Amino acid sequence: MGEPVAGRPSGGKRTEPGAGPNRTGGQTGPLVVACVRIVDLRPHVDPLTGRITRDPAGLGLPAPDAAALEHALRIGEAWSGRVVVAAAGPSPAPGGTPDAVLGELAALGATVVHLAEAGPAVHGRDRDMAETALRHPGTERPAATDSGALWELTADEGALARRIVNALSPFGVPAAVLCGDRSPDRGTGALPGFLAHELGAAQALGAVAVAPGDGHLLVDRRLDGGWRERLRVPCPAVCSVEGGGVRLRRATLPALLAAGPTAVHPAAPVRGGTVDGAREGSGPGPVTLRILGPPRPYRPRTRIVAPPADPDPRIRLLELTGALEAHDPPTVLGPIGAPEAADALVDFLVRHGYLDAPLPGAPARAGAP
Amino acid sequence: MSGATEFDAVVVGAGPAGSAAAIALARAGRSVVLVERGPFPGSKNVYGGVVYGRILDQIVPAWWEEVPVERWIVRRSTMMMTGTQSLSVDYRSQAWADRPYNGMTTVRSRFDRWLAGKATDAGARLVTSTVATGLVRDASGRICGVHTDRGDGDLRARVVVACDGVNSFLAKEAGLLPPAEASHHTLGVKEVLDLPRSVIDERFGLTGDEGTDIEILGCTRGIPGGGFLYTNADTVSVGVVLSLPHLAAAGVRPEELIADLKEHPSIAPYLRGATLREYAAHLIPEGGYDAMPTLATDGMLVAGDAAAMTLAAGIWLEGVNFAIGSGLAAGRAVDRAIGAGDCSAAGLASYRADLEAQFVLADHKRFRRAPSLILSERVQQRYPGFLCDMAEELFTVTNPTPKPGGLRATRIAAARHGVTLRALAADTLRALRVFG
Repeated sequence: MGEPVAGRPSGGKRTEPGAGPNRTGGQTGPLVVACVRIVDLRPHVDPLTGRITRDPAGLGLPAPDAAALEHALRIGEAWSGRVVVAAAGPSPAPGGTPDAVLGELAALGATVVHLAEAGPAVHGRDRDMAETALRHPGTERPAATDSGALWELTADEGALARRIVNALSPFGVPAAVLCGDRSPDRGTGALPGFLAHELGAAQALGAVAVAPGDGHLLVDRRLDGGWRERLRVPCPAVCSVEGGGVRLRRATLPALLAAGPTAVHPAAPVRGGTVDGAREGSGPGPVTLRILGPPRPYRPRTRIVAPPADPDPRIRLLELTGALEAHDPPTVLGPIGAPEAADALVDFLVRHGYLDAPLPGAPARAGAP
Repeated sequence: MSGATEFDAVVVGAGPAGSAAAIALARAGRSVVLVERGPFPGSKNVYGGVVYGRILDQIVPAWWEEVPVERWIVRRSTMMMTGTQSLSVDYRSQAWADRPYNGMTTVRSRFDRWLAGKATDAGARLVTSTVATGLVRDASGRICGVHTDRGDGDLRARVVVACDGVNSFLAKEAGLLPPAEASHHTLGVKEVLDLPRSVIDERFGLTGDEGTDIEILGCTRGIPGGGFLYTNADTVSVGVVLSLPHLAAAGVRPEELIADLKEHPSIAPYLRGATLREYAAHLIPEGGYDAMPTLATDGMLVAGDAAAMTLAAGIWLEGVNFAIGSGLAAGRAVDRAIGAGDCSAAGLASYRADLEAQFVLADHKRFRRAPSLILSERVQQRYPGFLCDMAEELFTVTNPTPKPGGLRATRIAAARHGVTLRALAADTLRALRVFG
């Protein structure tokens, strides 16, 4: 695949990106959207009770969201497009920190759509299920019962994605949507997938670099061993990006002074992206929360390894750690079907002692001869 | 420079002094921008004390109904200690537990945000995460704004009010603040310790929002300074304030002195089971009246810690109220100067006159000799042990030996600590002159 080529997107398969009324001062270029969430970056967690205390002073953009916004601004510049920031977060108080964060976003030259969150409020069955999930194993004491923790646990990012798409509709259809790949408020990381579904867009998640191409995005992702894969993602596209790689630019002082609360477009209120919000929203239907049981930590079975017998401590250390040993080289199996791939993984785990061998007479696996 | 934004005033630093100056200016109808280097007002500030609220009456009527208070101070204790003894003068007043209150403990990150909010409510423009990196001067050399670390970041104004704290770079660049002299500064270090609210109430004899302020002498291994212990809502602040040159000469780390203080038999019961939440350290300008910089020059004023307006006069240890008072005075002076069309040093001279007419400079001037007395060798190293031993002589029952009289107890304790009665009388006279 060649190097990124700056240019204007040629549009997606199902929609015409960038179409729609112009809200950004006469620009008619493709629409590039950054979805960010304003969260408390340094919440205090009580080490004994797990209770989370949030302080409005800690509100800001998580590093992945800041990187997503910087990528969006760069893509917008390359395409001569419009950049809209969909910012979910607490309602801004005049002079308060959310207001300052939104003002800083507006000063970057983007149109800011603020999706005000009504605040943590989880009730009824959702609260019961969340508390069950948070309960310490073997006790009746919930690990954390503050509304914030329950709210995050029950957050429905599908509903949030629908709200974002609705809020963006006056600006047209996005050619590219950039999101952070994680947030410190225990986000599930599912928002980009839901957004791609809502927009009928291609998606590429966990990008370390995003570059604008001609009708597509060039996306670099990590592979094992320090390798990268480069994807050509057709527009419209939704990408989530890691926090490293780029640093969000700072607004100039004149832009910061010029930006004020009026520079931010309020969107329809979001009830925190919760299940309740989904039920009350205008989305395609109610979303059912399923919690299958109390969360349990993954504890692989202990493998008993005979202690090395060599009298030389260095040799014993090498034997224990496996350092300097030749390892199996990566194996290219594909392209193969999902059942065959699953069989290959199971065989690998059996071969290395992580799984017991199948009992004689057990039904043959899908890909087994 | 021609494209730089212009205001009536630029206030650098959104601490108590800066916010107060911005409030005064904005309420006078002046355009003012308040520049803060942290992401929010109070994010960079460290203090471990009491805010005395009377000055807030001038800013917000019934401020106590909305200020982010931790506890209202109802008990003030001055404690002198040795390694195993302590002697306290303890005062408690329930009058301080009710409106209009006397003093409070607060968390500066909340208090400063609240006060800066009053400035923005009045019309000031708050710009955060922006560092004022230098002064802008016109062709004649007169100060007419500040450079900042943002792109296109010059702010032009008729007057710059430097409230950028102790070691003010702007005041130094303007030639108002001489190079920092260590002897005019102390280092305040503190730990904030978590304790449940009910435990604090029980141990300190408090109920509701009542709080305690304990000032301590003799807990610093002879390094001039003192200690403190304040109650917050569900934390306590404990720390020491140390003379900078003496600390350097002693080769002691300040956290060792806090550890000593926390283990003292008179302090440890208060703190049993407490867990460390945060540690902080900060320079304090304690040089007093004689160490203050020139307060005004053409196009610029200095207020708050930048002008060394921290009162460290023994039993009075106040800073935030002096910062607010100086900030308000600065704002009023700038308003008058702009109104008169003269923002030169002469036009801004009413600032100093205003400060001298009220507590800010009047108190500093009255107690200008206090720092040298309080930090003297005898007060710091001999008197705590002398007073504790004198109390021990008086209160120890030595039957069948008859009790010593007060004079004999004083002589015994004075001899033990090398305090002559002549020196004691001289210091008593000196104290009367300083505080009388």
